[in-house]
Amino acid sequence: MTDCPSCGAPLPVRSAAMPYATCANCQSLVMREGLAAQDMGKVAVLPVDVSPIQLGTTLHVEDMVLQVVGRVRWGWTDGSWNEWLLEGGDGVERWLGEAMGAFMLTAARPDLLDRPMLHGFAAGGEIAVGTRLDIEGVSLVAIDCKEAQCLGSEGDLPFPTLSGRTMTSIDFRGPNREAVSLQRDDRGASAWLGYYSALGALMPRNLRAVDGWTIPRELAQ
Amino acid sequence: MTARAVSCPNCGGTLEVRAAGYSVNLACRYCGSLLDVSRPEVALIEAHRRAMQGLFLPLGTRGTLFDVEWEAIGALRRKAGLYTWDEYLLFNPYAGYRWLVLSDGAWQFGTMLLDLPDGDDDTVAWRGARYTRDGTAEKTRTTAVVGEFYWRVREGDTVDALSFERGDTVLSREGGGGEVNWTQLIPVSGDTITEAFGRVSREPRRRAPRAFKIAEPEREADDLPAMLGLACAALVLLLLVMVFVSGPVERASGTVAAPFGSTREGVKIGTISVRRPWQFVKVTADAGDFDNRWVDLDYSLVDRTTGQSIDAYGIVEHYSGRDSDGSWTEGSRSGTTLLGKVPRGTYDLYVDAAAHAWPSDPPPDTSGWSLAETITVSINVETGALPWGNWWTAAVLLFLFPGTVIWQRLRNRHWP
Repeated sequence: MTDCPSCGAPLPVRSAAMPYATCANCQSLVMREGLAAQDMGKVAVLPVDVSPIQLGTTLHVEDMVLQVVGRVRWGWTDGSWNEWLLEGGDGVERWLGEAMGAFMLTAARPDLLDRPMLHGFAAGGEIAVGTRLDIEGVSLVAIDCKEAQCLGSEGDLPFPTLSGRTMTSIDFRGPNREAVSLQRDDRGASAWLGYYSALGALMPRNLRAVDGWTIPRELAQ
Repeated sequence: MTARAVSCPNCGGTLEVRAAGYSVNLACRYCGSLLDVSRPEVALIEAHRRAMQGLFLPLGTRGTLFDVEWEAIGALRRKAGLYTWDEYLLFNPYAGYRWLVLSDGAWQFGTMLLDLPDGDDDTVAWRGARYTRDGTAEKTRTTAVVGEFYWRVREGDTVDALSFERGDTVLSREGGGGEVNWTQLIPVSGDTITEAFGRVSREPRRRAPRAFKIAEPEREADDLPAMLGLACAALVLLLLVMVFVSGPVERASGTVAAPFGSTREGVKIGTISVRRPWQFVKVTADAGDFDNRWVDLDYSLVDRTTGQSIDAYGIVEHYSGRDSDGSWTEGSRSGTTLLGKVPRGTYDLYVDAAAHAWPSDPPPDTSGWSLAETITVSINVETGALPWGNWWTAAVLLFLFPGTVIWQRLRNRHWP
């Protein structure tokens, strides 16, 4: 446990591996280095939303318990979405993308970047909507390509989320809910493999109580 | 506080963003203006003067369908060809979005598909089942929008829509703007909708009804005779005006022999003149004795100088039979058609007539020599007709309010 160097509030460590944390009290972005904590500046306050996910929500997927430890909210010209960072204890970075009431669970697959088609993307090239990508026998189609800006963050995170941070994101979708997401920012390119899902199928626990709504029985625990 | 409150930059109305964080677009419920609510600061996309009218499900209405509580947060009115229907966007923060489509009085519940159907424009496979195309590809246009949406929607948007069917289930494919979306639609009964959302009205923003002044019986007693007198006077006046306006009467008559299995076209009945700037023209058809037959009559009133035609339709029909309740008859061997607002001029009346038998036409005559059966219809056309239907409508409307008062008073006698 460290304290926020800006306001002194305790900073809970949700994921020991994550170098950045957002102070819930003063919105400072804190970089952890060993025992030292450094104030990197203020992040934007997260806009109001009715997401059912919160820090501490757990998902139960394929015999794993994944805990939500951080969130980044991204905005693009036609909307915005949440990316929730998941901690599974196995060293794999996983994210739960949340947009339009649907969820996309992905895990890092750096090996995909070895594909020739993705070399160009990593080097700053574009991938047109409709482009096909074959992975493990599944043919996925690029369904959208966005330039996104960081709108705010909370919890523990692997990268700094100061406003002005931007990234390029391309989503591919397969015939059976398969999903591939490619992202590129100033740290380089990354590739994510996973699937689209309804919330219930992820067997969530400790969901946020949204005012005026009842958590459905099968999701409440 | 979950709903985010914003004010419309165009009309100043206070609005709630019910799906805060998901919604991108909000169409003001007061003025119809489109707002961008994807960022903390609300921006006006397009100003409007008029919001969408006549919503069956007022926005904010909640109901439980398929064990999940939903709130109606947005509505679209859409059109393809001559068809118009409404689509309501339902939201639950734990279950996401669904659609309720109201078309021709029938409801469908729509779920956006995450697993995409595979196939061509004629058949597709989805979750192991085959769906076949229903109808042709159509351009669907959004003609009105109110409430909030998770994508940028606006009036005038068009998408290419194609649907595939298997039994009652429809898969609808909509493509536009480089994006393809699939929705599964299943029928929901109107009773289920009423049960879920309560008795919702077509006019959600109806003014509070004015209270009946039951507490002031003396005042009502004073008003009622005056009201009835006024209504009677108005009806008499209306009748006088109708007789005056209807003008001089001119008649012509003739007959037409309607054949079975074909149409006798262009039989001239006679000539009449309309001498006022406009008059009503009445066409009466009378047929002799026949049973389980009907005759379709297409009238054309052709102006002699311009050649322009005013068209109307008439029918004579009579059926009888016997069932478990005894014998029955239906229909009438004579029929009246009223043509309104015929301008001044001289007209020839032509009629096309075709006879039919019920339940099926007699087989065509194979010998080719015997005369085919016909039904003879005498047609009478006259100017200066009175629109009695309008007069009765006026009578009902004029007596509606005094009648209601009388009824209220009779009922109140039981509640001393």
